[in-house]
Amino acid sequence: MPREAEPSQNEKDFILKAVQEGHRLDGRALDHFRQLDLKFGDQYGVADVTLGKTRILAKVTAEVTVPYTDRPFDGIFTITTELSPMASPAFEVNRPTETEVLLSRLLEKTVRRSNALDTESLCLVAGQKCWSVRVDLHVLSHDGNLIDAACLAVVAALRHFRKPDTSMEGETLTVYTPAEREPVPLSWLHSPFCITFSFFGAIQIGEDGEEKDIWLLDTTLLEEQLRVSSCTISMNKHGEICQVAKPGGAPVEAMTIVQCSSLALQKVKDLSDFVDRKLAEDSKHRNKGGLLAELSAENAR
Amino acid sequence: MTTTTSGPEALLSHLHSADGSATFSYAGYTIIGAVNGPIEAQRRDELPEEAVVDVVVRPAAGVGGTRERHLEGLLQSTLRQIILVTHFPRSLIQITLQVTIAPENEYVSTKVVQANTTAVLTLMSAAIPLTATLTSVVIAATAEDGSTREIINPTAREIQMSRSLHVFAFTSHGDLILTQSEGEFTMKEWEDILASAQRHCCPSTSGDVSMGDDEASGANLGKFTRIRNDKKAHFEPPNLGVSNSSAVLAALASMGLNRGSPMHLEEG
Repeated sequence: MPREAEPSQNEKDFILKAVQEGHRLDGRALDHFRQLDLKFGDQYGVADVTLGKTRILAKVTAEVTVPYTDRPFDGIFTITTELSPMASPAFEVNRPTETEVLLSRLLEKTVRRSNALDTESLCLVAGQKCWSVRVDLHVLSHDGNLIDAACLAVVAALRHFRKPDTSMEGETLTVYTPAEREPVPLSWLHSPFCITFSFFGAIQIGEDGEEKDIWLLDTTLLEEQLRVSSCTISMNKHGEICQVAKPGGAPVEAMTIVQCSSLALQKVKDLSDFVDRKLAEDSKHRNKGGLLAELSAENAR
Repeated sequence: MTTTTSGPEALLSHLHSADGSATFSYAGYTIIGAVNGPIEAQRRDELPEEAVVDVVVRPAAGVGGTRERHLEGLLQSTLRQIILVTHFPRSLIQITLQVTIAPENEYVSTKVVQANTTAVLTLMSAAIPLTATLTSVVIAATAEDGSTREIINPTAREIQMSRSLHVFAFTSHGDLILTQSEGEFTMKEWEDILASAQRHCCPSTSGDVSMGDDEASGANLGKFTRIRNDKKAHFEPPNLGVSNSSAVLAALASMGLNRGSPMHLEEG
């Protein structure tokens, strides 16, 4: 398979010089995101995220299975990411690249290990039956910042998803079709979002030789190819950090990371509001006659 | 007889990193296709005298299994016959089809039709030289008091009730290129169904029109729209050469793309 084309020396020099002077190729400020769009499908649990030219589709499915023997009270929750040649010819089928491994590990840490989805609520009969919730991520177009966009897609799709309602009578479990009972949302505890900072070395500020790290938010593929290191911070809108990942690359000042995390909080709040707004719009659109509240069999907690 | 409610819809060249891309939605399916090619083939795969056509089908949920491999096999053998593979020796034409929406009870046979159309649109969007375009149709045959009834583009329910199910694909020359049949049927029935499939896919393409003729291409566009509206077929299969590539142009124009890429069709 062909490798991703590397930017030419002229391109490199131009972009790096521009970034040092505080400019980006597309005219954004260094800490600005590209145009973000989120669309939900007709079915529950389909989210299509467009971030500039990056486009990611997440689809959630649920089925009843047997829980793992060592975790009889927990349901199963998996996130699968597979980058296809559709995103870039450099991605091969059935051979994960480094990007893909990093992406799935980060999503795993951000969404699954931060307990965003309460897996205990997926248990139906302890040790015998549970829901298996699966998120499939399809990267349709890759133009940088896959991590932030993918995390947003996963969170939005899971919050949009409705699983079929069930009831237990004695030993028998009944799973209702959407026609019988309105499907119920997943038990969602908090919404983590990833913010990736890309570092481009340091510049000198002032006379006394003090240095300042340069970093960008929401990099394009070209910028991503030129960065010296990156750091992904995942947190929810309450400022609770789920994970910080800085996989290798050039070292960064500790103070910079602190500054980054406070900026990340601000960005996460924006993203969180954005997803909330889109979900509200979608439910308003679905709930035309105001009937959903009556159809719902969900108990108030 | 057609029970699907909305007509086919297509969106071309909307993914930026692939060489060609198309989204095709019809009969409950939405499939996104992308083509990269001709690109460097892996040493162990390359063929000395022609291009390797690689088809990857990915389901909306879960990992691909036997169904997808079967579909990939069908598509691969069909598409390598219409792509001018001999023009690109030792290279690779990689087609990725991502199903994003699929109806609940899906049959591989019905998926072949949507996948074929998506693949052809994608190839055209990538300006890969083709000898012809494809049109395909699914026909279910049901037994009704002694006689057989043919249902074009049947629903899942109708397929379940049917006695046999057939898929046919024709090139724009009117040649049969793919046939898949399952169920119980006689040779006579099959021939009848073949004939009606041919009528459906290849309406008479005798009238030769010239490229620059606006009126003619307008007529072709009309024909395409009409076919789209009432028969729910794919775009009109054009004859090769100058004559009917205008139909494809019209089809592409009506889908919001007018970059003249189908001109390469004449190479055949």
